[in-house]
Amino acid sequence: MGHAACYFTAGELATRGMQHLPDELVSNRHLIYSSPATLAFNSPGAEGFGVKRAGLAIPGSVMLLVAPGCCGRNTSLVSNMPAYKDRFFYLNMAETDIVTGRHLKKIPQAVEEVVDCLAQRPSLVMICITCVDALLGTDMERVCRRAEERVGLPVRPCYMYALTREGRRPPMVHVRQSLYSLLEPRKKRPTSVNVLGFFAPLVEGCELYGYLRGMGVKAIREVSTCKDFDEFQRMAEANFNLVLHPEARFAAADLQERLGIPSIELTRLYQLDRIRTQYQALGQVLGQTFDDASDYAAAQDAVDAFARHMPQAAFSVGECLNADAFELALALVRYGFVVREVFGTVQAENFVFLRRLAELSPHTRVYSNMEPTMVYYDASDCPVDVCLGKDAGWYHPEAACLAWNEDVQPYGYAGVRLLFEALLRLTSAAASGEGRAQA
Amino acid sequence: MRGLRKYLTPFAPDQSGAVSVLYELGGIVVVCDAGGCTGNICGFDEPRWHRTRSAVFSAGLRDMDAIMGRDDKLVAELADAAHKITANFAAVVGTPVPSVIGTDYHALRRMAERKCDLPVITIDTTGMELYDVGASKAYVELFDRFATEKLPVRDGRVLYLGANPLDLSRIPPQEMSLSFDEVVHASEAERVMVVAPSGLAAAKLLQRRFGTPYDVGYPLLGAGDPCEAAHDGQTLLDEVPWAGKRVLVVHQQVAANAIRDAIRSRGAERVVCATWFMQAPELTQEGDVRLREEDDFEELVYQGDFDVLVGDPTLWRIVSDFDGMTVDLPQFPVSGELVCQAGVVT
Repeated sequence: MGHAACYFTAGELATRGMQHLPDELVSNRHLIYSSPATLAFNSPGAEGFGVKRAGLAIPGSVMLLVAPGCCGRNTSLVSNMPAYKDRFFYLNMAETDIVTGRHLKKIPQAVEEVVDCLAQRPSLVMICITCVDALLGTDMERVCRRAEERVGLPVRPCYMYALTREGRRPPMVHVRQSLYSLLEPRKKRPTSVNVLGFFAPLVEGCELYGYLRGMGVKAIREVSTCKDFDEFQRMAEANFNLVLHPEARFAAADLQERLGIPSIELTRLYQLDRIRTQYQALGQVLGQTFDDASDYAAAQDAVDAFARHMPQAAFSVGECLNADAFELALALVRYGFVVREVFGTVQAENFVFLRRLAELSPHTRVYSNMEPTMVYYDASDCPVDVCLGKDAGWYHPEAACLAWNEDVQPYGYAGVRLLFEALLRLTSAAASGEGRAQA
Repeated sequence: MRGLRKYLTPFAPDQSGAVSVLYELGGIVVVCDAGGCTGNICGFDEPRWHRTRSAVFSAGLRDMDAIMGRDDKLVAELADAAHKITANFAAVVGTPVPSVIGTDYHALRRMAERKCDLPVITIDTTGMELYDVGASKAYVELFDRFATEKLPVRDGRVLYLGANPLDLSRIPPQEMSLSFDEVVHASEAERVMVVAPSGLAAAKLLQRRFGTPYDVGYPLLGAGDPCEAAHDGQTLLDEVPWAGKRVLVVHQQVAANAIRDAIRSRGAERVVCATWFMQAPELTQEGDVRLREEDDFEELVYQGDFDVLVGDPTLWRIVSDFDGMTVDLPQFPVSGELVCQAGVVT
């Protein structure tokens, strides 16, 4: 019986191909190890934006979680944040509810009681239901319509169905559809654009905003920056949607079908040449040319500055961060750094990055955070200088760690620049003997 | 409305209580869920999780696993993990999903034992009961299964039951922690000390099986009460002028009773104990209250004529018009706060 964490090298995986991944890297073929490194998988709402926070993206909205008590247990992590104070309410289900379905009849009254107890009338009530109702086949749309009639407010369902997370429409896809389904038809404005995908804005100074403004766009709307429900409704005016996260793809398709707003999907990348190529492609679609020379150069300068500070820095790259772990690892290797290991989930979308990584760094180890033998992971077996991602930092408590998991989203050249500036600050602090560097 | 929470987040559920008991026993603990329950249990209700690695897993159920009742898949994955990980036993802990699909835990246990070469226990928690129900089930299941041999009693050996982070609202002191060896050798205990109602059923089982006597008490009080850390050595009991006061104490029943005794000895006129959790009849005094809904607490406070409330600070929002003194005594299964953040607010 071996007591070591299981891994495969990038070279081995590339040779096997996506169709023949080992069972250890396929999450539905083994038990899911629970560690702080897997919290984002096991409990997406505990950190960052899960269904609960995402469901409250509309300004002035409140949520009623209708579920067994266990489903709402960790919500106080969110409800203690100032932005979510007095916005979460609960209707706890008992076993009798499951047998009789009586909880469904109580929902309209519960919504009314919630609305009545609030000092200010909410803009929207989200009803969040969980695995139990997924199995019961609850028609929550119908229940929401009844609640709407009772309180005279929009009431929408959102589905925190962990059971369907690897299905075609997982919860984070559905919650986006539910939110944007609130948009009512409006007259189009050619100078309005929506940015879909995230529940927090892009980093300040992101060049994408400048490029859009440079082509005459006056209103760039994101759900996270709408001040109130009326401003949110103005997202229906958009000439087109920019989709920056694949989980918003279905919502964008809905908007195209229902409101006639077309969409363009972009990917978050950390390879500068790929970012440039993507902007060129966007420009072609829009009939524009973006002058990205200074943004590209600023990002390249940041990469170079870090490379001068730590040439041949050895990285551990996790997946609990604002990046695709394999694309980021590939970018680091292409910039001349060493990536000793990646904690990641191999999927069809990122296998292309893994294959390229295998060409440049075939010995890079690939671990799955979720695989049972990760209980035996030993950091001394794979020493690194810097960890990227909260999970990687958990495995390497002695190494400098940049969590890179803020709500505000890094994107484009600005994302690359800010990443390497942060790495430089982090490792400079570590070098000056300030103890374990974390950011 | 029954079940509606406008101020409080849901309390720690039974599955968290079960895992809390099993966490440090060296077993493979499989939470039979889709992932979210495990995240809640470990990421919120298990304060040892960030500092101590333990073999806790999610079954990672998917919709078709539940719909098709694929227990064989779960058993195969458990057997695979048991092959790779050294463990004393395996435990399967229930959640709402197996509750809804009517999982046969007895059959699941037998199937798993045939495949795993490990003793397997199952805890039929549902996610709809409270933590102490799950903790009680886990204690009973453990001792029923593993404490089978009658051994010579060792002088001075005390077995603590109910001493888990959820019941104590703190990491248990080393001497109160439970090990797998202590479970197996439970009959060596001279006596059992029950520090929370969750330990009562298992204590009675050991009494029946081995004749081991049990006491109910809360030894942490007095040895440094729960507010010690926040009060620079001054205890909560010493800070408040209790004489003549009418006091409501809200906590788990054994701790609340111990606080009541201490407050009474300091001259309080009347002390009522209330709990959101198990209320054992043999530990209940006249006037004590079992709380279920926020409205119950509101009514108790406003109609109870109290001068002082002692309890988790998240409760005070429900009774914002109460004009007496409130004494913060965090209760982990209520707010997720450990006792080190305690303080007095007037």
